[in-house]
Amino acid sequence: MYPVSSQKKSWTFANESQLLAFRVEQNSKYIGEHDSECQDSDLEEFFLTPAEERLLLKQYEVYLFDFCRRFDPPMPKCVVGTAFHYFKRFYLNNTPMDYHPKEILATCVFVACKVEEFNVSISQFVNNIKGDRNKATDIVLSNELLLIGQLNYYLTIHNPFRPIEGFLIDIKTRSNMQNPDRLRPHIESFIDSTYYTDACLLHTPSQIGLAAVLHAASREQENLDSYVTDLLFVSARDKLPSLIDAVRKIRIMVKQYQQPDRDKVKAIEKKLDKCRNQANNPDSELYNERLRRMYCDADYLPAGGCLFSYC
Amino acid sequence: MEDQACPRCKTTKYRNPSLKLMVNVCGHTLCESCVDLLFLKGSGACPECMVPLRRNNFRVQLFEDPMVEKEVDIRRRILRDYNKREEDFGTLEEYNDYLEEIEDIVYNLCNNIEIIETNKRIEAYKRDNREVIQRNKTRVGRDESALEEMLELERVQEESRKKELDELETEHKKKKARDKQALIEELMYSGKDAAQIVTEFAEKAEKQREEEKQLPPPKLSNEFSTGIKFGQTADPTLIPVPKSEEGPLFVYEPLIAITDGPTPPPTNEIESLGYISHIRAETQQENAGGFTATMACERALQEALQGLFYTPTAGVAVGI
Repeated sequence: MYPVSSQKKSWTFANESQLLAFRVEQNSKYIGEHDSECQDSDLEEFFLTPAEERLLLKQYEVYLFDFCRRFDPPMPKCVVGTAFHYFKRFYLNNTPMDYHPKEILATCVFVACKVEEFNVSISQFVNNIKGDRNKATDIVLSNELLLIGQLNYYLTIHNPFRPIEGFLIDIKTRSNMQNPDRLRPHIESFIDSTYYTDACLLHTPSQIGLAAVLHAASREQENLDSYVTDLLFVSARDKLPSLIDAVRKIRIMVKQYQQPDRDKVKAIEKKLDKCRNQANNPDSELYNERLRRMYCDADYLPAGGCLFSYC
Repeated sequence: MEDQACPRCKTTKYRNPSLKLMVNVCGHTLCESCVDLLFLKGSGACPECMVPLRRNNFRVQLFEDPMVEKEVDIRRRILRDYNKREEDFGTLEEYNDYLEEIEDIVYNLCNNIEIIETNKRIEAYKRDNREVIQRNKTRVGRDESALEEMLELERVQEESRKKELDELETEHKKKKARDKQALIEELMYSGKDAAQIVTEFAEKAEKQREEEKQLPPPKLSNEFSTGIKFGQTADPTLIPVPKSEEGPLFVYEPLIAITDGPTPPPTNEIESLGYISHIRAETQQENAGGFTATMACERALQEALQGLFYTPTAGVAVGI
């Protein structure tokens, strides 16, 4: 159950500044390790700044959502939620310069399919990816173990979908709202918007679910405040303000979200190509060299920072 | 054993599985008939290695591999003299050295390495340790005889039991014969009705069989069949198994669920409060699997309500 889950204990944080601190730390660590590569240009100009990383990741989240939407066979919502969760968690402890978001995107979706018991074979999966299928297979399979390790092997994600169903049942039974099912499309679009924010790392799934329900209600010109105060919190009035606060924060986060600017992202991607960790770039010479040496020389084990898991 | 052929006459072994192979000190085998043939002539020599042999050196082969036979033979001979025990040595190391020496000697003799040297070693050892060897010989003798006595006792008991059973059998048979005789005589000489006589006898036979079924109560035995007496430990060096400590008895405490939110309705009230009407009913297959709609309803409600009271531990929101 959620209150005793690993999600609550290890992957829910106090506030956004904590998340920002994590990301900045990863960024500076990477720059510190690789600053010899930048030759004479300015560090800032060569490597990605935390703000640029953020923008890049936002763009890739959009791609992730698109990928899941166009997936064949049609993907259940919980897989999408889980994949987003993994993506966000991964980039809390790693920088995009080390592992390209394109690869991690595919791996997140693949692992999410497995965890949420949506059975897709690897060949079916790469049919949805444009480009070289074999290379994609290799990338996804070799990154799988890395991803799971970076998630600290906590793979169970509690998504807001079941809480939403629970709230709808409760509303139908206990409050006297007319036809609560018309809230559903608004709820769905709200949840889709939360995927682009950090709400899942800061709040519990039931709070996100309640925020979605309340948002949908206000869209339909209905007022569910009485439901919340009188029916839900009848026994714990003192907890009410913090919940209202949380719901408000979530709704603000969703409202404040802006789509990233395509041109800026293109420029960042060009920069990334230069400053990314070539050891993890499947197109680079260094990577292929390592691969070859691993296969030919049985005792060869590359030093840290390597993608390999199944060689 | 059938695929081993006598090295001399070869065919005889296959045709006659009961034929035994004999082996002697040089390790080579010969079937019984060949032994008779060769040693009747008087001059005995092994056909393979030409070592001079005596007729009574031949023993029935126990092991398939003649090398093993040879080694077993040598070992028995050596151990008759090298019969010290662990108690005779001061430290474990000395005992181990002694054992290693025995193995060396056996190995040498078995593989014909430095036979003269080895024999000299044996002689030297025998001379040095004559008293110890003698003492050990008598001691071994005592243990062996104790074992032998027990075996004898068992054998005697077995025999007496068998005799008893046999006697019982014969008694039984004689009785039956007598009864039959009596029946026939009755039929011949008495004036009663024939059928009646037969039924009388049949009843008597039945009654006897009933009596026999109630066997005499078994003799209260005071020992196991192996001769170990009841109520005594067989080997005083064995200590009884220690009784394991049992901790406090398990007491059931019902599970307290942490919800961190308002309490959901209890399971038994979900139907009565009307929540269930908003969930689709389970299909027949699902019901057969043990699944009910109440479970889904309950789970959704629980997940909706848990975690609502959660507050982050510190800090104020700062947007990126």
